[in-house]
Amino acid sequence: MPVFELLIAGILLGGLYALMACGLNLVFGVMRIINFAHGDLLAVGALTTVSIVTGLHLPFYVAIVVVPLLTAALGLAMQVLVLRRLADGPMIMSLLATFALSTILVNLSILIWGGGYRGLPGVLGGSVHLLGLDVALSRLVSFLVAMAVTLLVWWFLQSTRFGRAIRSVSQAPELAVINGISIDAVRNVTFALGAAMAGLAGVLLAPTFASDPQLGARFGIKAFAVIIVGGMGSYPGAMAAALLLGVLEVFGGYWFGQVIGSAMLFLVMLVVLLVRPRGLLGMGVRA
Amino acid sequence: MHVQRIQPQPTPVPPPDFASATDTAERILVVEGVGKRFGGLVALSDVSLSVGRGSITGVIGPNGSGKSTLFNIIAGTLRPDRGRVFLNGHDTTRASPAQICRNGVGRTFQISRLFGEMTVLENLVAVAHGASDAEAVERALGLLDFLEITGLRDKWGTELSYGQRKLVEIARALMLRPTVMLLDEPFAGINPRLQNRIVDHLEALRQRGLTLFFIDHEMRIVLEICDTIHVLAQGRVIAEGDAAAIRSDPKVQDAYF
Amino acid sequence: MKSLVIIVVSAALAAVIPFVGSEYALSFTVQLFVFVALAYSWNLIGGYAGYTHFGQVAFFGVGAYTGALMMDAGFHWLLAAGAAGLSGALLALPLGGAMLRVKGPFFAIGMFGMARVCESFALGFDGITQGGTGLYLTPVTDLKPLYFVLWAIAFGMVVLTWKLDNSRLGIQLLAIREDETAADALGIRTTRLKIGTFVASAIAPAAVGSLYATYLSFIDPATAFAPMTELTTIAMVLLGGMGTTFGPLVGAVVMSVVNELLWSRFPEIYLALVGAVILAVVLFMPRGIVSFAMRRAWWWVPAARSSLRRLASRPAPSRSPKEAH
Repeated sequence: MPVFELLIAGILLGGLYALMACGLNLVFGVMRIINFAHGDLLAVGALTTVSIVTGLHLPFYVAIVVVPLLTAALGLAMQVLVLRRLADGPMIMSLLATFALSTILVNLSILIWGGGYRGLPGVLGGSVHLLGLDVALSRLVSFLVAMAVTLLVWWFLQSTRFGRAIRSVSQAPELAVINGISIDAVRNVTFALGAAMAGLAGVLLAPTFASDPQLGARFGIKAFAVIIVGGMGSYPGAMAAALLLGVLEVFGGYWFGQVIGSAMLFLVMLVVLLVRPRGLLGMGVRA
Repeated sequence: MHVQRIQPQPTPVPPPDFASATDTAERILVVEGVGKRFGGLVALSDVSLSVGRGSITGVIGPNGSGKSTLFNIIAGTLRPDRGRVFLNGHDTTRASPAQICRNGVGRTFQISRLFGEMTVLENLVAVAHGASDAEAVERALGLLDFLEITGLRDKWGTELSYGQRKLVEIARALMLRPTVMLLDEPFAGINPRLQNRIVDHLEALRQRGLTLFFIDHEMRIVLEICDTIHVLAQGRVIAEGDAAAIRSDPKVQDAYF
Repeated sequence: MKSLVIIVVSAALAAVIPFVGSEYALSFTVQLFVFVALAYSWNLIGGYAGYTHFGQVAFFGVGAYTGALMMDAGFHWLLAAGAAGLSGALLALPLGGAMLRVKGPFFAIGMFGMARVCESFALGFDGITQGGTGLYLTPVTDLKPLYFVLWAIAFGMVVLTWKLDNSRLGIQLLAIREDETAADALGIRTTRLKIGTFVASAIAPAAVGSLYATYLSFIDPATAFAPMTELTTIAMVLLGGMGTTFGPLVGAVVMSVVNELLWSRFPEIYLALVGAVILAVVLFMPRGIVSFAMRRAWWWVPAARSSLRRLASRPAPSRSPKEAH
């Protein structure tokens, strides 16, 4: 068994999960809702990347800049037009709203891009020699960018004034105004930031995986398992769990086949819920 | 007439270092050496107190004195770091709120926790464990009548005013036919007229043999109705006794007045 | 008894359709019954107990496959449906034990993930399920018995919900929905009730899944675990009114008509439109049609949980105020 190869492949995959999961976790922390449409923003990001590179013949790095801005705008629109109006109501209603938004987003994507798979042949092709292994360039680049951005956002949360405002809102939502930053502004920025991270994850997976409008239900949903395993609201927990689950998925896929490998994330999530419901590093969901 | 719905468990063997636990006939609630810290903050350092059967006992103390922590430990929503709690002769230190409830303890909440999208009658009937529908409705109507809130019967939980909620919560806790009632700040934030009404009801409940234990800041009422008062400050009991003793206690004067 | 009148009249109407209606009417009502059974089941756990989730299609799909494999092995379709219902309950028991430890979005989306797991198993174990190709079954010659079994399940779910709505069990489920912590502290056995309701809510979808496979004489992962099934069911309950006796029925009828009008004409935007319906209900009428009508006390709307009120309004000479404690 090529343990080392599988391990590297798992970690590289885990980097993408980290970027997705941290965005989702960020939004959960501040809004106390899970954005069901998070994965669909990822799909929109991936498909837009395909259009930019193969349709408009622009270089890939343009997508890295433009697409997160686009999904951030989409996310912000969702927040301002829908979710903000439901913020004081029962949480179930916000959840159903994100479910509805997800459906709308998926089906509009099907209208725009069609239902089939689209790839990005030739972008970041080839491989590099690393630690005695041949690693696909696309996977390596997407891992590095994903981890860099995830860590950058973490630094932003820890070290900037606005980042601290975001963290204090997630710890004590009842304190409406923190050093002159309104809770509405915090929510809007957080939602946009989370959406941008989803979009970027979409950009980064486009060269490696085939994208289609259903990508959210297939791939984006894994971010959810990651934050349950890592612990809701815990940023380091999400990063650790993302890498762990990436490795598990790759090994599972090697042993039991691709389909079962993907399902393994959710089985791990079930076990975590049974054994340690607050997750590896989490603050707990039951409260 | 109180009907014991719980399987009567054998009375626990009293710990040798705690002789007073033997007379559970007299002391319905015993808190022994309870301590609790949150991170570095000591909420309760070493609290012992006991509540006589059929008494009205109150705990008062300034904000941050550990009242709420103590209440939550007794009600089972918090676990103490050390010490023990006995209710009705059972060690309930590690019991869940649900188990404590089934031991004959009814409780109200500091912030109203009525079931909002249900009527008052439904709020009451929902917790009438073991009774038939007809009996449950009967008991609920009896309690609404007793608390003089029959008019609220078909109102929704969300429609009620703050004071009405407090009364309905008391009625709902009484639906459990408790032997002890734990009241979390029953007088906070309501007008004096309603406070007096609640006082009258509590007195009437005590007449029927119910034990009442509550925490509150309302010095006036606590001194007026309690047989025994415990004063909490900085996580420990600094004074206990009847109203006269508390009024004249210099330590209480320091902490409070 | 307004409730009884509504139940009996709609059941009688549905029962005569195979004798008087066209092929089209028959297929329309089959779809309607399937969705009524799904919507009422979802309403039990999502509407009454407040554990909304996006994974009911897991039970529908697992039931469809269990039934299809049984029929493939030569069993009668009715027996297969019974076994499918059982498989739903057996799946729901451990799943509920784990998943019901979390609530809100975690339960909802976790269940969505579980449905995807079941789907990938159906795809992945292609030695048994034929993977994406799907299983072809021998068509049933006479659809009428199938129709009546579906009718009985749908009718049974309505009656069951009506009974629940008028019982203390139903009120205790609502108490869990409203404030689970308080319900627990007041001695309501929340864990047991939640898991029980969850298991009960899995049986009919699984049985109906099997019957639907019989009806189509075919099943594949895309049909068994279709997001459209999930979405339409939730839209129905939400539109009609979550946690009400007649909400899912009203919602199912309205959405089925919408479905007929739009699905054939605009299949490409149908799902987006259902999403828009959910969004509109959430934003503008979160309690649904029936709750809205109940609050307005429209004459044709039966009051919710009326049996308690009748008990309370009954003159009771024996009642004494001294009974309180």
